[in-house]
Amino acid sequence: MSIWSWLKRRRLDLDEKDFQDEIRAHLTLAADERMADGADPRSAQLAALKEFGNVLLTTEAARRVWIPRWLEALRDQVSDVRYAIRTLAKNPVFSLTVIGVLTLGIGLNAAVFTMLKSIALSPIAGVDGSARLAVLFGETSTGRQVRVSYPDYQYIRDHASAFSGLFGTALVKANLGRGRGARQIWGEVVTGNYFQVLGVRAERGRTLLPSDEIAPGRHPAVVLSDGLWRRDFGADPDIVGKTVEINHVPLTVVGVADPAFHGTTVVYDVEVFIPVMMAPQLGFMFGSQQTTPSGILSDRRAALFYPQGHLRPGTTLASAAAETDALWAMLSRDRPLTDAAQRLRAVPFSQTPNGAPTFLLPTLGVLSAMGLLVLLIACANIAGLVLVRGVSRRGEIAVRQALGATRARIVGLLIVENLVLAVPGALLGVLLARRGIPLLAGYAEQLAAPERVFFNIEVDSLVIGFAALVACLCALVFGLVPALRSSRVDLVSVINQDASPRGAARGRLRAGLVVAQVAVSLLLLVGAGLATRSVEAARSANPGFDASQVTAIMVDVEQNAYDESRGRVFYRKLLDAARADPGIESATLAENIPLGFLDTRAQRVAIEGYEPGRGEDLAFMSNSVGSDYFRTLRISLVAGRAFEDRDDETAAPVAVVNQTLAQRFWGGPASAVGKRLRVGEGDWRTVIGVVADVKYSRINEAPRPYLYLPFLQSYRSGMVLHTRGAGPVDSLVDRARAQVAALDADLPILKATPMSQMRRGSLIIFNLTETMLFIFGLAGMALAAMGTYGLVSYTVKQSTREIGIRMALGASGQSVVRVFLARGLRLGVVGAALGLAATLGASRLLGSVLFGVSATDPGSFVRALVLVLGGVIVATLVPAWRAARTNPLSALRHP
Amino acid sequence: MTLHSTRPDARTDLLHGTLDMLILRTLQWGPQHGYAIGQTIRAQSADVLQVEAGSLYPALQRLARKGWVTAKWGQTEANQRAKFYRLTAEGKRQLLREQSRWTELVNAIGRVMKPAAVPGTEG
Repeated sequence: MSIWSWLKRRRLDLDEKDFQDEIRAHLTLAADERMADGADPRSAQLAALKEFGNVLLTTEAARRVWIPRWLEALRDQVSDVRYAIRTLAKNPVFSLTVIGVLTLGIGLNAAVFTMLKSIALSPIAGVDGSARLAVLFGETSTGRQVRVSYPDYQYIRDHASAFSGLFGTALVKANLGRGRGARQIWGEVVTGNYFQVLGVRAERGRTLLPSDEIAPGRHPAVVLSDGLWRRDFGADPDIVGKTVEINHVPLTVVGVADPAFHGTTVVYDVEVFIPVMMAPQLGFMFGSQQTTPSGILSDRRAALFYPQGHLRPGTTLASAAAETDALWAMLSRDRPLTDAAQRLRAVPFSQTPNGAPTFLLPTLGVLSAMGLLVLLIACANIAGLVLVRGVSRRGEIAVRQALGATRARIVGLLIVENLVLAVPGALLGVLLARRGIPLLAGYAEQLAAPERVFFNIEVDSLVIGFAALVACLCALVFGLVPALRSSRVDLVSVINQDASPRGAARGRLRAGLVVAQVAVSLLLLVGAGLATRSVEAARSANPGFDASQVTAIMVDVEQNAYDESRGRVFYRKLLDAARADPGIESATLAENIPLGFLDTRAQRVAIEGYEPGRGEDLAFMSNSVGSDYFRTLRISLVAGRAFEDRDDETAAPVAVVNQTLAQRFWGGPASAVGKRLRVGEGDWRTVIGVVADVKYSRINEAPRPYLYLPFLQSYRSGMVLHTRGAGPVDSLVDRARAQVAALDADLPILKATPMSQMRRGSLIIFNLTETMLFIFGLAGMALAAMGTYGLVSYTVKQSTREIGIRMALGASGQSVVRVFLARGLRLGVVGAALGLAATLGASRLLGSVLFGVSATDPGSFVRALVLVLGGVIVATLVPAWRAARTNPLSALRHP
Repeated sequence: MTLHSTRPDARTDLLHGTLDMLILRTLQWGPQHGYAIGQTIRAQSADVLQVEAGSLYPALQRLARKGWVTAKWGQTEANQRAKFYRLTAEGKRQLLREQSRWTELVNAIGRVMKPAAVPGTEG
């Protein structure tokens, strides 16, 4: 049955024509009866009409019989909304201010909520329930988090019953293609069940399968990301079955992954997925150097990846951890390695070691707190506006009450008015977030370039629902209290035109709002101040080296199939050419660039004469560098000498250590020189020098032991050429690039930038956080200043009569201003004191996202205090002055 | 219908209910048109109850909406067109309910107004 026929059958309204017919029939009958009694037709008709009464009212009453009660209530609401819109349109300044304030407050919160939601609820794009993934990793005695080797992974996967599936994945930098067109991309080396456990499907062809994890080196397959397929292969419909070269090994494309899927690293945009069985062939090195590439799949010391998987229904993380712990104990029994992980830990995905969520969640927590504070200020602000407006509408409300409107009806009307303001505020806020988030993401992508990053952040229905909820709550919070107050109008005082606020309660509420705004804005301003200081500190922090005027040119001679002897010749010639250039002061080679954000490979180090404790973690990161490295990067030499060209493969093995390492094992730089150490299973090396510490991965890292090996004694095929010169750094880059091309025109240059550019990646999270904190602080301060100004100046205006009396009694304009200033300052000082207390209370939370500045930095506090109190003074002075200049008589006459 | 309620809704219910009951009672003897219903109530109450058209017609609409009466156009004895209302089965049941309630109410009021009367006078 269609709705239409149901509606037709069930009359919902009065049949008007029929009803009028019936009335006409009634009148005829009544007139006929009178004529039968002897009346003349005309007077009979008139009498009948008179007796009937009001036809219109009767029709209306009959019509109302048919209107259901809920519809009547709805009609009331609609008329309320219509009335609200009309009233608000008459006060465009008020309405637009409120909408603007709400847009800002809701927009900022929606933006932070969007990020929080995606990181906390769906960190991996294109994977359902990714937040519920559990991650396993080993932990050493010093708390260092280490990966699990492939044989250990296999054992755990086959024996752990707590997981429905356990996959492994390792992020790698893969070289795609050959020759000049080659470039470096992010790849994941994955186990065969990777796609199955994640539930990711192939857009084309197939995904990798467990059948791709049988025999080492026998599965030359690769799955491409949708992005790579579109960018590099022009969305070739026949891509499946074609061959791509990765690290010079031809792999067959078996499929293209779902377009929504960007790998499991959360921030990096992964473009190829390679079976773990191919890792030895492709030359990826994950674990310690003691493992040859071919040992990756069999050596239990070769740390490879963090196993991840979904818990079986009914299993908790704790019971899974207990099970894996037992398995680990069994595995450790026949492997008494000193640096092996002591225990296996199971954590939720959001705590993945070195994972983006691990970095981002505390940051987002702080941002959410700031966002809520901004919203709080916005609400206090609007509450003030509504309160002030409520006073000026007392006349209207009194008339409504006099006409019999109940208090509930009036409060209802005022709440409808607030909602009419809140809804556009919420809509515009969502729009703001929608516009703002791609802007922020774009900024982050720019910072990260040329690395490809991907942010799984999107404004979806959840965000819109959140914004709507926030808007309704706001409308209630900022509207209800003032609305309740406004509805309690004293008819007598209104009729007497006494505009001064009679109830002390109203004054208290207003004072409370001022105090709250001052307090919260102080908190936000200190936050913004600390954020700015933090960015400056991070930018100007001394990382221990000088990157200005230095280039970084990255090449990998394996890209052109050089063996080690050809490679050595190539790098020798490259250095010679660079050093022969008169514009270049010094040139050198390095395996790793400092401040690279990701930790590089750590290797087990043995110190001669040092007996490591049971389970002591002695794996340190190292760098293979050329002669002149420390001079080129201006890393100061503390003791001994730096590497020279004579430290080649025929000379005695040597090493340079950093200060922290020298201090830890030999008690100082001077005594370290001449001591011996061994990296992995290599030769014993003599320490020839000690250099200052450098920030190796991140600007905020703690000092850690680090060592350098001479490039000539530890050859790598992929190196970075650093040159330092006096000219413009961009032309230095071009020259260095030309020198590489002159030696081998076909060798791809993987990266060629000023070294200072490389640092930006390590600052990206700081920059984003601090930018957001700064925006929040600014928004909060603008809102608070506006609100305080409005409330204080309104109080002063309300007191015009008082000013008049004071001046009529002989007070000078100055003394009047002084009185009001004292009142305003009193509120300001109380607010500032509360704000200071709150800020100190929150300093631990703030401290977790700050760099290089204490959360109780006095400078930031003083500046915020001056700004806030200055705002209060201006907000008081201007209206007080204006009031003091008015004619006392006119002030008395026209309050 | 309760007397002790002070809700305005209940009060109108009382008035509406009484008029509705009178109309249903009038229709018990057969279909009638609106004018005749008004006249009948007036005549039977010896001109005490004068039902205004402004109350009668909305009441008829209310009864029709509740399904207690149905309406049909027809001819009067004097050959005039008029709309005749007829009691439905549900309307008859409603009339019985109203009647017994009314009796209860009248008795209750009677007891209150004549406290000296012989206790236990029922019906």
